[in-house]
Amino acid sequence: MRLFLKEKKKAIILFSLIFFHLILISFQVPLGDKQNYFERAIFSVFSPVQHGVIFFFKKAGEIWNDYFYLWEVQKMNKELKEEMFLLRQENSQLRRALRRLKAERDIRNFISNLHDSFLVTRVIGIDARNIYKSIIIAKGSLDGLKKNMVVLDWQGHLVGRIIDPISLKEARVQLITDIESGVSVISLKSRAGGVLKGDGKGNCRLEYIYPTQKVNNGEELVTSGLDHIFPPGIKVGTIVSIKTEASLFKIIKVKTSFEFSELDLVVVILGDSKDVLLKGE
Amino acid sequence: MRNFVEISIGIIIAFFLYTIIGKISFSLSQLLNFFTLAVIYFAITKGELYGACIGTVCGLIQDSFSLGVFGISGLSKTLIGFLAGFIAQRINVLPLVRNFLFILVLIIGETALSLFLYYFISAEYAREITPLILFQPLCTAILGSIVFLFLRKFRVLSF
Repeated sequence: MRLFLKEKKKAIILFSLIFFHLILISFQVPLGDKQNYFERAIFSVFSPVQHGVIFFFKKAGEIWNDYFYLWEVQKMNKELKEEMFLLRQENSQLRRALRRLKAERDIRNFISNLHDSFLVTRVIGIDARNIYKSIIIAKGSLDGLKKNMVVLDWQGHLVGRIIDPISLKEARVQLITDIESGVSVISLKSRAGGVLKGDGKGNCRLEYIYPTQKVNNGEELVTSGLDHIFPPGIKVGTIVSIKTEASLFKIIKVKTSFEFSELDLVVVILGDSKDVLLKGE
Repeated sequence: MRNFVEISIGIIIAFFLYTIIGKISFSLSQLLNFFTLAVIYFAITKGELYGACIGTVCGLIQDSFSLGVFGISGLSKTLIGFLAGFIAQRINVLPLVRNFLFILVLIIGETALSLFLYYFISAEYAREITPLILFQPLCTAILGSIVFLFLRKFRVLSF
């Protein structure tokens, strides 16, 4: 028996590993996009390394820029950029809110709470399998991030939502371009409502629009809030092509408002996003 | 102990490069697979069992950083690691052209196996495949053969 094990050691280890993976896969398939504990553990161990690498390179770049080039100007510029970034977010949310809010007291309450409701963070990683599925951001549960919190780009366009796993200082964001993402949206012009799903290739599809409903190319889509995850009024994308084939619904392609190549800084809406954006309503 | 340290450093370097390249360019990160190169490198230098075990570790790390079925990269990298070590023990795969073809065929095999498993589990997953992924074997093989050439020149790698 011992001799047999010795001779067949390699084959036994290989088949054990294959068996181990098949068990992992068969556990994972029914879970869908939910992560199992093993995956969470690996993510929790390696995401700080990723964070550290990005931090190191960011710091190295900063040292180079700060000390070898216009140190003061660089610093001021950076501060102004960050301030502008936040102000843009505030401005965009305020505009949306002002359309809805009526009482002055409500507006005051809204403004006082708004500034603390955003968390600016950096993208530190992308999805290895498909870049349009998810990203990793440099804030985690210690910063107050929770599942389903809404993530926007620097102009306030919808990027996605926080999903598991969330480690102490990192979190994963499911992008709206992910094939398994779904956002309830409405057209600003025709008021046609549907579900926006990612195509996994950087764009989205607007689903459940009947051939009789009128929608046109160039129409802007915003979140409707009906999914109870994404607050209403956030700009999501623009319709770029419409096909009416023999199917029950129109085939509508949507270009996202956020630019994938510009995803460096993002904003997370803290707390219940609906409360944050609709405070005072 | 020495093997463990070497392998750990190798995996950390692969993870480091994977992170950096993702930060530099999203597209480039789809074209180059540093984890597979690490698996092949250790499979050549240390044998098929190490190849399989490192394939498991690297594959699972890669899986945990992507939204998909956890275990698919692990399985494909395990098989590729074992195969790479098995072949490298019998054939000298270090000459440049042979090395390039060796890596190319292995990564095509890995990609094909992953795609097959995704198709097998759900055709929906297959819709997400970006065309860039299909160029990954070629780009990674070019990079890998150049890296291995340098490693040979500096006598880090020998048959």
